[in-house]
Amino acid sequence: MIENRPGLTFLAHLVLIAGVLIVALPVWVAFVASTRGATDFMSGTIPMWPGPHLIENYSRMLDTGLSTSGTPPVGLMMFNSLVMALSIAIGKIAISMLSAFAIVYFRFPFRGLAFWCIFITLMLPVEVRIVPSFQVVAGLGLLNSYAGLSLPLIASATATFLFRQVFLTIPDELTEAARIDGAGPMKFFRDILLPLSRTNMAALFVILFIYGWNQYLWPLLITTDAQYYTIVAGIKRMADVVDGLPQWHLVMATAILAMLPPVAVVIGMQRLFVKGLVETEK
Amino acid sequence: MASITLDNLGKVYPGGTRAVGDVNIDIADGEFIVLVGPSGCGKSTLLRMVAGLESISEGEVRIGDRVVNDVEPADRDIAMVFQNYALYPHMSVRQNLAYGLKNRGTPKAEIERRVKEAAEILQIGPFLDRKPRALSGGQRQRVAMGRAITREPAVFLFDEPLSNLDAKLRVAMRLEIKELQKRLRTTSIYVTHDQLEAMTLADRLVVLNGGRIEQIGTPLDVYRRPASTFVASFIGSPAMNLLDAKAVPHLPGTAHAGTIGIRPEDLSLAEDGLIEMNVMAVEELGAQRLVHGRTSGEAITIALPSDAPLGDTLKLGFDRKNLHLFSRDSGARID
Ligand SMILES: Nc1ncnc2c1ncn2[C@@H]1O[C@H](COP(=O)(O)OP(=O)(O)O)[C@@H](O)[C@H]1O
Ligand SMILES: [Mg+2]
Repeated sequence: MIENRPGLTFLAHLVLIAGVLIVALPVWVAFVASTRGATDFMSGTIPMWPGPHLIENYSRMLDTGLSTSGTPPVGLMMFNSLVMALSIAIGKIAISMLSAFAIVYFRFPFRGLAFWCIFITLMLPVEVRIVPSFQVVAGLGLLNSYAGLSLPLIASATATFLFRQVFLTIPDELTEAARIDGAGPMKFFRDILLPLSRTNMAALFVILFIYGWNQYLWPLLITTDAQYYTIVAGIKRMADVVDGLPQWHLVMATAILAMLPPVAVVIGMQRLFVKGLVETEK
Repeated sequence: MASITLDNLGKVYPGGTRAVGDVNIDIADGEFIVLVGPSGCGKSTLLRMVAGLESISEGEVRIGDRVVNDVEPADRDIAMVFQNYALYPHMSVRQNLAYGLKNRGTPKAEIERRVKEAAEILQIGPFLDRKPRALSGGQRQRVAMGRAITREPAVFLFDEPLSNLDAKLRVAMRLEIKELQKRLRTTSIYVTHDQLEAMTLADRLVVLNGGRIEQIGTPLDVYRRPASTFVASFIGSPAMNLLDAKAVPHLPGTAHAGTIGIRPEDLSLAEDGLIEMNVMAVEELGAQRLVHGRTSGEAITIALPSDAPLGDTLKLGFDRKNLHLFSRDSGARID
């Protein structure tokens, strides 16, 4: 719809700006807090303008971390989160693409059953199966390891369905042309399906990376060794002080740092992401 | 180069639909065969069985001397052109043409030579580095044909390759395909529902109806001596008039026939004409005018020169040798 009325344009902008302000305010407060000193929060009023301690706070968190809460330096936790988020995103994409490939292009016995099994896992997110998952992971000796952090979260019905839909939009004739051109199944997958799903993979990667990065309950449960703390679970541990006050300026500095990688992923993959969501022509 | 033999070929889809049955065709080396019939008559199924894209439930397909029933499509030495082009959208035209050769391990220099040759033949040289989406329908169709040519196969298979083009382009491409096939002398099977396209392209026509062959013959044979009422009504435009012999009893020498056929262009105005026609509608085609009407309750059409006089009733005459007689029970031709 293309309207050209100044009043409407003004109103539209007003609504958008209000929306942006509402979303941005907490982030701003967090940023302001991360630039203040330890005592600025005792007064009872929340400061709204940045203070002078920005460099001090951030370098302290990156350097040594908040040792009183038992968390390692922020750098290590971010690295752990990065490993976890990347493994989950890449693992999910790889597994679900292959399963969708099998379901759409192969006629094997119990194909329908396999399909429904994948479907049923939709009803079993991490939170529901957390106790049995923990037992399995513990039994395999994967507590406090990157594998333990990411493997149980990799299977994904949603992504499998997404790729199934993508593959179904690829015309049969294209598959047949490839068959006549002498492309076997794996060659077809690599030469035709992969490039045609590129934008969908990118869109999914963005979503899954953020999903993995924001995991909270699972890492909290299976990591007891500070070496493997992730950043999101780490923030929670920092804010959880038994006696005394939380070091809000440091917690907020960590929170701001924790936001950066997802933001970078979104900005870096924005164009592919949007294309992947809206593109229909195959 | 190869001959093709379809021997008692039949196809029953899972679920029990019979799409094709009792098909026997001997296709000579270099021949251009057109499978023609209405939508759903099994043309594509038949072609796809030859291509190896559809399993064969009965009978045999031989390409050259080799039975290919269980041979993968890639190993049958065929190339296929699809109605919707089926170009790989993420590859450039050049890559589209080369993909099949690359998979076969053809040397780079050879691939380059063949791509260049095909591009020259089809005049797609300027587009070699474009993606299919940046081409018009006609150009895409050329690329699809180019992909078939570079393979240098023994057999070309076409499944309604011109159906997505506009009428004018269709006529032009039709001629080009014909010329191309003459030049390359590659055995070809071409599927279409358009009888005009079939007539102009074919060395021999195969008219299909409900999965069975109604008639095989050269376009003129089929036009002049249609083997059944189905072929008679399907081949030729405007369609042949088919009159119930009882409804027009006064035609001499037609006693044993159930249906009498006569082409609209074989009818003429005549003072002493045996057929009297009530005019109901007139179509002006420019060079011709088609007059539709009824005689003894049967629909009848006549093609007249555009300056012919018109009235509410017309008396029509014809030459006895232009009558086609068909049996009442089977609709088969009787002579
Ligand atoms: N995959 C299929 N499964 C079941 N029936 C099919 C399948 N493909 C085609 N048919 C049926 O087979 C008949 C012939 O189809 P087709 O060969 O596509 O006809 P045409 O190409 O002449 O229009 C049709 O009745 C169609 O419904
Ligand atoms: Mg068809």
